[in-house]
This record gives sequence, structure tokens and C-alpha cells, in this order.
Amino acid sequence: MDYQALVDMAVMAGEIMLVSGAEVYRIEDTISRILKKSGVEHSEVFALATGIFVTISDPHAGVITVVKRVDRHSTNLNRIYSVNNVSRKFCRGEMTVEEAMAELTRIAGEVQYGFFHKCIGYVMTTGFFAILFGGRWIDCLAAGMVGFVLALVGEAAARLHLNDFCQNAAGSFALAMAAMLLSCIVPGLNQDAVIISAIMPLVPGVTFTSAIRDTLNGDYSSGVAKAAEAVVVALAVASGVGAGMMAFRMMGGIV
Amino acid sequence: MMEIVIQTAGAFFAIFGFSILLDVPKKFLFWTSGSGAVGWLAYILALAGGRSPIMAAFLSSLAASLFSHTVARIMKAPVTVFLVAGILPTVPGASIYRCVYYLIQAEPSLSSFYLIQTLQIAGAMALAIFIVDSLFRLTQKPQGREEKGEKGSSVCG
Repeated sequence: MDYQALVDMAVMAGEIMLVSGAEVYRIEDTISRILKKSGVEHSEVFALATGIFVTISDPHAGVITVVKRVDRHSTNLNRIYSVNNVSRKFCRGEMTVEEAMAELTRIAGEVQYGFFHKCIGYVMTTGFFAILFGGRWIDCLAAGMVGFVLALVGEAAARLHLNDFCQNAAGSFALAMAAMLLSCIVPGLNQDAVIISAIMPLVPGVTFTSAIRDTLNGDYSSGVAKAAEAVVVALAVASGVGAGMMAFRMMGGIV
Repeated sequence: MMEIVIQTAGAFFAIFGFSILLDVPKKFLFWTSGSGAVGWLAYILALAGGRSPIMAAFLSSLAASLFSHTVARIMKAPVTVFLVAGILPTVPGASIYRCVYYLIQAEPSLSSFYLIQTLQIAGAMALAIFIVDSLFRLTQKPQGREEKGEKGSSVCG
């Protein structure tokens, strides 16, 4: 048995899950199940919000340790689901290490929804969230339009390879400007509802909640790391919106 | 009554859009949106019943987690897929934003008000999720020989 390939496969599965936003205990569980399946004598897995450490020791394999640093995060539930399926199949013995590795490589490169679908996603999210925040139909319409602006700016910022903070700040700057402009054109627009619904795709609610879940599960370090991430994202969004409002006022727009 | 229907439908479609942004597998889009609608329905019913927003967030997460765990069992998918969508409408994103926004605007009292609200809501939601997680873990068999599909929410099996 090629133990190096096994460890590489297990770490790759963990890495995809970590990048896609899975909880730490799920990642550790997946990796240790994959390793245990091969019957190594001793294995240890340690995952943080920013990296994975795996080591196995066995009379036949010697000691193998892999450290993987992970620095980007973007929630992708499809990848978590697909990796979960691969690990299930592997643990049931329906897949070899090589097959699993090939499947994981395919999952890591898979794009399920293109830019067009993402645009629809943004418009639906912002438009319909306006209903939940007490907007009327005109506010929903405006929020949907602002959501479309957000999708365009977000895509442009991603193509420029800006870091997360700048992407979020640029997106919220643009959405604040768009919302202010619309409320100038349409009198009586519920501007607060429009802006709050438009930032919903950006705000770190999920990160914040999973930070608390990790903490309650005893994964204190990832809990704190995720809480810090949530604060940074919230800071980016709030400063983007604040700067957008200020810039619009400076340009002579009446609020 | 009409208002409740409109709000629930709004939550359904909002979460449908958000599910695309979160790359939910296509075959689960309907279920994740349903999870969001269940969560929001519980929330507005609790508010209409005179509960505080924090209690409403707790009950809403409880309903959404129960729904998510059940669907995850049936569909043999990780519970996260449905849970993230289910808690999204009640997640305190707006309060985190307001907290930081008022901090920038030099209004510390409003800022700390929203900070405390964020912590309370997030705490109530996490507690609800934690309770349901633990309940469903009790029904699982310990690791080892499991029947196919027995461990819907766990990784292998």
C-alpha cells in the first residue's frame, strides 16, 4: 500500500472541505476515517481554520507527516457534499486511493454555476430579502437592481485579484452609491431596507454562527479565527457602505 | 395571514438565490430554500406570538435545524448544506453591519447596542443548533459497523 498517496489524498479531501467552509470537526472526522480505513497503526489529525496537519506512523510505512496551509475561503456547499460522497465511498471500499484522488481533483476544479447564474442569485437574494426587512414592492425592485450592481462589481473585483477585504469594501461602496442614486430618483424609497438587503450576500452571518458552533464544540482556536474573520468582513462592508454614502454626499447628492 | 404567506414565500425565494451564491448542489436547491422558509416561518410566528426577537431566533433555528437534520438523513448529505440555508434569514448579519457602521459614525452607544444584540442572537441560534446536533448524535450508533444510510449527517457510512 502506498501510504504517501493515501495521506496526500486524505489531506486533499480535508483541504477542499476547509476552503469550502466546512466545520473543523467534520474535516478532522473525514480525514481520520479515511486514514483508519487503511488500517494504519497510529494516526493523528489536527485542523485549524487556516491549515491542516496530518501524521501517521506504522511499522510498514514509517512516519509520514503532511502540513497544508490554507489561506483562501469561499463557501461552496457543492464541494463539501461531493467530498463527503467520495469519503463515504472510499470508506465502504468502493473506491481505491487513486480513484478517490482523481475524483477529488475533478471536484476541486468543478464550477457549478457560472457568472450568469450568480447574477440571478444576487438579484433574487437582495430583492426578496427586502420583503423580509419590511420593504414594499418598489423597495424590492430597487434592492434587486442594487444586487445586480453588486454582482458586477464583485465579479470585476474578483478578476482584479483584490484581497477579500477590498472585494467586500468595493462591493459595498458600489451598492451604497447605487442605493443612494435610486433613492434620489425614486422619492420615498426605504433606503435603509434597500441597503440592508443589498449587503446580505456579503455580511458574515454564517461565519459568525459557525464560529460560535466551533467554540461550543471545543475547537477554540478555529472559533476565535472565524470570529476574527467575521469582524474583518463586517468592517470591510461597513466601511465600504460608509465611504459610499459619504462620497455620494460630497458629490452633491441629496440624501 | 396573507402577510405570513408573502413573508414565507419571500424567504423561500431569497434563500433560493442565496443557495446559488453558496453553490448548493442543484438537486438540493428546493430543499435548502424550504429550510430557509421553515426557519423564517417559525421566526415570524414566534414574533406574532409575542416572543422577544432573541427567543424567536432561538425557536427559528430550532425549527430549521430539525428540518435540516431530517432532510439530511433522507438525502444522505452533510447537514451543513441545509443548515446554513435554514439559518440564513435569522442570522444577525444586519446587526453586525450596524454595529460596525455606528462605530465608524462615532456613535458608540448605538454600536454597543447592536454588538450585544448580535451576540445574543448568534448565541441563541448557536445554542439551538447545538441542542439539535446533540439530540441527533444520540440517535446515531457509535463508530464501527453501521448500516447504510444510518449516519446521514456524518462523513462516512
